[in-house]
Amino acid sequence: MESWLLTIMIFLPLAGIPQIVALDDRHAGKARHIALAVSLLSLAVTCYVIVLFACRAWGTGEQALEQRLALMALSDNSGAAGPAFQALYHVSVDGISVWLIALTALISPLSIWGSYSYIQERQKGYYSLMLLLQTAIMGVFCARDLLLFYVFFDLTLIPLFLLIGIWGGPDRRYAAFKFFIYTMTGSVLFLGGILYLAWRSYQVNHVFGFDLDMLYGLAPSLSAEEQKWLFLAMFAAFAIKVPLFPFHTWLPLAHTEAPTAGSVILAGLLLKLGTYGFLRFAVPLFPEATWFFAPLLAGLAIVGIIYTALVAWVQDDFKKLIAYSSVSHLGFCMLGLFSLKVAGLNGSLLYMVNHGLSTGALFLVIGMIYERYHTRSMKDIGGLAQRMPRLAFFMVFFALASVALPGLNGFVSEFLVLLGTFVSNSTYDGYPLGPLDYRYAVVAALGIILGAVYMFWWLRRVLFGPLVEPRNNHDPEHGHSFLPPDINARETSILAVIAAACLFLGVYPKPLLTSMEPALRSSVLNVVYTRPSAVARQEDQRHTRSLSEGLNTQHAGPRTAFTPLFSIEG
Amino acid sequence: MIASADNFLDVAWWSWLIVLLPLSAAGLIGLLGRVLRGASHWPSILGVAGALAVSIWLFLALPASPAGSAAGHGAPAAHAAQADHDAPITHDAQSAGRMDAPVSVPAAGISYFDWILTGAVTTQAVIEARLLIDPLTIVMLLTVTSVSLLVVIYSRDYMRDHHGHPERGYERFFAFLALFVASMCILVLAGNFVLLYMGWELVGLCSYLLIGFYYPRPSASDAAKKAFIVNRIGDFGFGLGVLSIYLVFGRLDYEGVFAAAQAAFNAGDPQALATLQDLLYLPSLQAAAAKAAEIQSWTTAICLLLFAGAVGKSAQIPLYVWLPDAMEGPTPVSALIHAATMVTAGVYMVARCGPLFTHSPLALQVVAAIGCATALFSATIAVTQFDMKRILAYSTISQLGYMFLGLGVYAAGSAIFHLYTHAFFKALLFLAAGSVMHAMNGVIDIRLCRGLRKILPITAWTFVIGGLALAGFPLLSGFWSKDEIVVAAMAFNPVLGWLAMLTALLTAFYTFRMIFIAFFGAERTPPEAEHPAESGRWMTFPLVLLAVGAVFAGYLGVTFGGAHPFAGLFTPGGRFQAFLAGPLDSYRLALEASGRHAEHSTVLPYLAAGLSIVGILAAWFVYLRKPAIAEAAARSSGPVYRLVYRKYYVDEVYDLLVVGVAWLLGLFLYFFDRYVIDGLVFTATLVPRTVGFFTRRAQLGALQGYALFMVGLSVLVVLAVLLTA
Repeated sequence: MESWLLTIMIFLPLAGIPQIVALDDRHAGKARHIALAVSLLSLAVTCYVIVLFACRAWGTGEQALEQRLALMALSDNSGAAGPAFQALYHVSVDGISVWLIALTALISPLSIWGSYSYIQERQKGYYSLMLLLQTAIMGVFCARDLLLFYVFFDLTLIPLFLLIGIWGGPDRRYAAFKFFIYTMTGSVLFLGGILYLAWRSYQVNHVFGFDLDMLYGLAPSLSAEEQKWLFLAMFAAFAIKVPLFPFHTWLPLAHTEAPTAGSVILAGLLLKLGTYGFLRFAVPLFPEATWFFAPLLAGLAIVGIIYTALVAWVQDDFKKLIAYSSVSHLGFCMLGLFSLKVAGLNGSLLYMVNHGLSTGALFLVIGMIYERYHTRSMKDIGGLAQRMPRLAFFMVFFALASVALPGLNGFVSEFLVLLGTFVSNSTYDGYPLGPLDYRYAVVAALGIILGAVYMFWWLRRVLFGPLVEPRNNHDPEHGHSFLPPDINARETSILAVIAAACLFLGVYPKPLLTSMEPALRSSVLNVVYTRPSAVARQEDQRHTRSLSEGLNTQHAGPRTAFTPLFSIEG
Repeated sequence: MIASADNFLDVAWWSWLIVLLPLSAAGLIGLLGRVLRGASHWPSILGVAGALAVSIWLFLALPASPAGSAAGHGAPAAHAAQADHDAPITHDAQSAGRMDAPVSVPAAGISYFDWILTGAVTTQAVIEARLLIDPLTIVMLLTVTSVSLLVVIYSRDYMRDHHGHPERGYERFFAFLALFVASMCILVLAGNFVLLYMGWELVGLCSYLLIGFYYPRPSASDAAKKAFIVNRIGDFGFGLGVLSIYLVFGRLDYEGVFAAAQAAFNAGDPQALATLQDLLYLPSLQAAAAKAAEIQSWTTAICLLLFAGAVGKSAQIPLYVWLPDAMEGPTPVSALIHAATMVTAGVYMVARCGPLFTHSPLALQVVAAIGCATALFSATIAVTQFDMKRILAYSTISQLGYMFLGLGVYAAGSAIFHLYTHAFFKALLFLAAGSVMHAMNGVIDIRLCRGLRKILPITAWTFVIGGLALAGFPLLSGFWSKDEIVVAAMAFNPVLGWLAMLTALLTAFYTFRMIFIAFFGAERTPPEAEHPAESGRWMTFPLVLLAVGAVFAGYLGVTFGGAHPFAGLFTPGGRFQAFLAGPLDSYRLALEASGRHAEHSTVLPYLAAGLSIVGILAAWFVYLRKPAIAEAAARSSGPVYRLVYRKYYVDEVYDLLVVGVAWLLGLFLYFFDRYVIDGLVFTATLVPRTVGFFTRRAQLGALQGYALFMVGLSVLVVLAVLLTA
């Protein structure tokens, strides 16, 4: 039973779909309640999963609750013992995925709840797709098999494509197709990479298979050239998803046209598929290529941080502003990741969770404004704090979380990312020198200023100053969704839940950091710093040994007796 | 005193209450604001009073350091020439023989929980929620919480109209005020650089929220935004400074970093190297030696980066532009945040980081130069302004410049002393100005309100006392503290000293220009003031208390006795500095090493006192006796006057060169994004489109077609696999 727990968690949302579809059209309004209930149930299961994970693998971050089923196993006539072709259903949680799963389980019901008043048409379809999307995202984060990951990864495309295309804004068709084609292009190249990798695995291990546990061991037998090409194939899918500059142009459009919940899930969860993909696959599978590309990708990330922050600043449509700010923030995420330091990786992973919370909440806030005024142009509205003090509170709160005010969640991750980048060229975390150095962090830190610039400009124009409201406030199309001037109890509760999470993670991020770090060390950094050349490998064996010693005493406070293996160079 | 030290640790553990009491007051008002409404000031008053009470408790529990207890009795003449200056410190029996012996500091560092894990293995892995309580902390705490309490009490009436009805946003105001006190206490209590940064940013947030308190007014919300963003520019440097500290030291707690810095700059001593090795978890003495060299090469950069933060927060050139605009906030906010407490955070930080700054002469020269330039520059602007609050704002910038000048010439004790006296008299001046504003129904232009002495007697006379203290009138608090800085600056570099003197003259002049115009002469009130009358007791009570402080607070820093009756009066020292001797010891050591400490001087103080009186008399002559002179002078010096009156057009230049250029860049990049980057993507899609155009015939739109295509592709893949295998 317990081995099925993850499967239940992943597929539980689907259980709501038949119920919704079976609804009589007259009672279509009930679809939202069913969807919410199912999604909350899934949240409950996720909580149980987290508790189990905490009991088993808290300090080690190892895989827990693994389930492994062979979907297809064919043998060839080579006479080898195992199957020659293998497709697995292999799911598990570890310290890397567990918090992203938790984020998914939290954001999904909240975005369903947030759609209650906005979605008035084709509710059955809408809520079914929302549930399907939740399953797909859960699947992505749980998958331990590359092909399974790919299936879930592409499965996320379809519901979101439809959500944008059907319930989106005026330009929804174009936006949906652009989103679809962009992402699809990336994932086709990704698929090519996967197949090549499986084929190489066949050559080495005699298994044409996709199991990560097997593929992780493949790196030494891949030549540097192969790694680079494979890395680029994965890069195509993930960089578009992140989105990394200059592959970001689909995002602002998709965001502006998507319905609120679509934007929340897109920014809060789907973008993390890209960074998660780098963290889980591209980096540990191809360490040599990672080393080669790290400075380049960090450079792109930094350009993205500054470039999109400046672009965000001059936007008039404030949904676009937040969309561009998302690109800027994800740049930090990528930068931390390619610092290849524990602090940077920890920060990057935490950044994914934090960005999901704060940007998700900002999109919800924007949706709440849009539902009342049907405009997102800052020319048409202003001084809303007078009309909506409660909304103003939350908007300022999440804007502060987003500009990394210490005490709120964004700070911890941004600090760690910059710290990791800053000390990338040091050996504090027990690993040899990393690929970046402090100069990267200095430039990236300009994003701190620019983040405040566009965020506070936005607050100033939307919330403060004299009250400006569009004259034709109740357009007939949406006239039936009557809402009070300030946010109601439902909307307040949604935002309050996220705000509480932001505050908690800002003050006490330790539970997350403690469980992430060992997993990042064992499944990413240990691999990355094991480079195939013989000398490096010897060095690393020594190093890995000392690392495990280091880990045992790690949180016992500063050590005085510990002698590092790598003295600082120069 | 060992038992006492233990007792101090026990007491110090409770210092979290100093943060939590105001914080929970803020939370309480936030949640129950609608119920509390007109009673919303009570949680704030109680919370801040609680914080003050705990601070006093800490002060009382602080074990007397050997130096502190001895110096309390003044400096006996037994000590030779030098002793006058560092009498309070050299009294330590052990250090009497060795000048560079550090003074023992009664301090308690308390870690509450692990905050951020950095993932380090070979160095400090955990950034804790850590508070450090030492004499410097306590001085700051007492100053902050006592002024805050008075301001909160004052606000009870200030934030009401003349019928006693609370203004719109009354509860919001008190919630923010309490939040500010909590944030400021975090800043002051922080035991590591990250928590310092947290307090630093949080006070900035509160400042933002309170400047924008009247947010429907565009000028107020613009000023709030400007304050936050300009501060962020400084914080960019500050943040990088913190990261650099981690890069170099591998830890971020004050004690560790400072001790390591001291050891690194003493690297010739094997003992120091061993200490360094121990502190920074280094594997060998060789590594420690290399580390010491690294620390030495980074220190100037670290100090300058940290100082960038101070320049932003404490409104120095070139980032001072936000502070005058910040006067858009309610006056109690200007008094508390933008005069007495928050803006002094930079001074506190530089004083706190003495072990770093004193090892970088270049950084301290920059501090001194910027401080001195700012002091003079903003004093000239203050002479030409008409808005009482703006005059006071420029005066604040100028006085903060004095404090930095003091730090830059190694007189950190005097800088903190000036910070402390300034908190009283500047808060007093602002609150009194607020009282005028309250009576005049919001008007505060000294061209419109004149001769208010009769209508507002308490306000007027307390304002005069505050003004005298600010002008450095003899025997008032400002005199003692400013005098110490001027003397120290003169000894260090006569140019700085004379500029400081000139600034003192200007200070006296612009302060009394404002006083003589607004409170003396013929009575005139603006039409907006319907029933001008003295403010109520909630407002006058803090004024009177602060006036008492403005007169007497300085005596804590005065040394009585000495060679002749007045000799001790004019030497830096006294109880105040003795109390701070431990935390600021690095400045004393550096000063001694530089060999430039202040000569015992009886001339300078009389000169400073004389200049102050000259300034006051000049203002009296120009603005009361012969008002025509002022106008004639303004007219005859036309362009120069206009340049100064328009604040040297710095705001305009910034708007054009920084904001304008960045905005244009943003616009350019946006179009670049839409048409070039997206255009490239579009061009890329032309390839499949063209292919698609020619192969369209192959697509019959039927499912079979696609299936066929997929099968074909798969066959190709399999073939490729087989052929290459």
